[in-house]
Amino acid sequence: MKRSYIGVIILAAILMMNIVFTQYMVHQYYYENYVNVLIFGGLNIVLFPLAVLAYKKTINIRA
Amino acid sequence: MSDKNNKIPFNEDNYTHNIERNNERKLDRRGFMKTLVGAAGVFAVSSLPWGAVAAKELMGLGEKEYPHKKITDVSKLPIGNAVDFKFPGDHDDAILIRLSENNYVAYQNACTHLRCPVFWVKEQGEMVCPCHHGKFDVETGAPTAGPPRRPLPEIQVKVENGAIYAVRVKRYEA
Repeated sequence: MKRSYIGVIILAAILMMNIVFTQYMVHQYYYENYVNVLIFGGLNIVLFPLAVLAYKKTINIRA
Repeated sequence: MSDKNNKIPFNEDNYTHNIERNNERKLDRRGFMKTLVGAAGVFAVSSLPWGAVAAKELMGLGEKEYPHKKITDVSKLPIGNAVDFKFPGDHDDAILIRLSENNYVAYQNACTHLRCPVFWVKEQGEMVCPCHHGKFDVETGAPTAGPPRRPLPEIQVKVENGAIYAVRVKRYEA
């Protein structure tokens, strides 16, 4: 059975974005740019349903 | 389970003896993807408290009012000089600098790099951290050189009846 790894790649990219956003969020907090903290925190939260969606959409793809 | 495949050399009459069926699907592609999704969930949940404290600061709930504290008398502080004091707690070092006749600035003087005490160098017109030669702009508290990247927390002061009082502090959660 040949698998498609597109889903793994997408999810790894999402996780990478999670790390970047979290880093930004923490730094912006200490810079006291609280609006930016909310933006990046929101992005982080939005990424989770995206990850679930990416999982469901790609789980049955055959290469 | 019979013992016939445990003999060495065993009599190979099946083709599955090297497959551990129970662990087969522990970390296949699907399981790995599920782990990734779970990690994304952990990130999402862990960013909630940061958003909460940021929202709190935005709504002004973080602006604490401390009892006003007398720092020094105006007559004892010549222009261009600085005086150390503690505000708001007894262990929160701070520095008050008189820049001109009526212009006072005060900061919590723990360096935002590694919390060494920052002091005022009158000749250079800068605030300097001796540990790693971090420098701060005296007007705003913003870092201008060295390792620190965040400004010093500013303390609001007011002058009343010839004395200088510390009113409140815009501070970091250190």
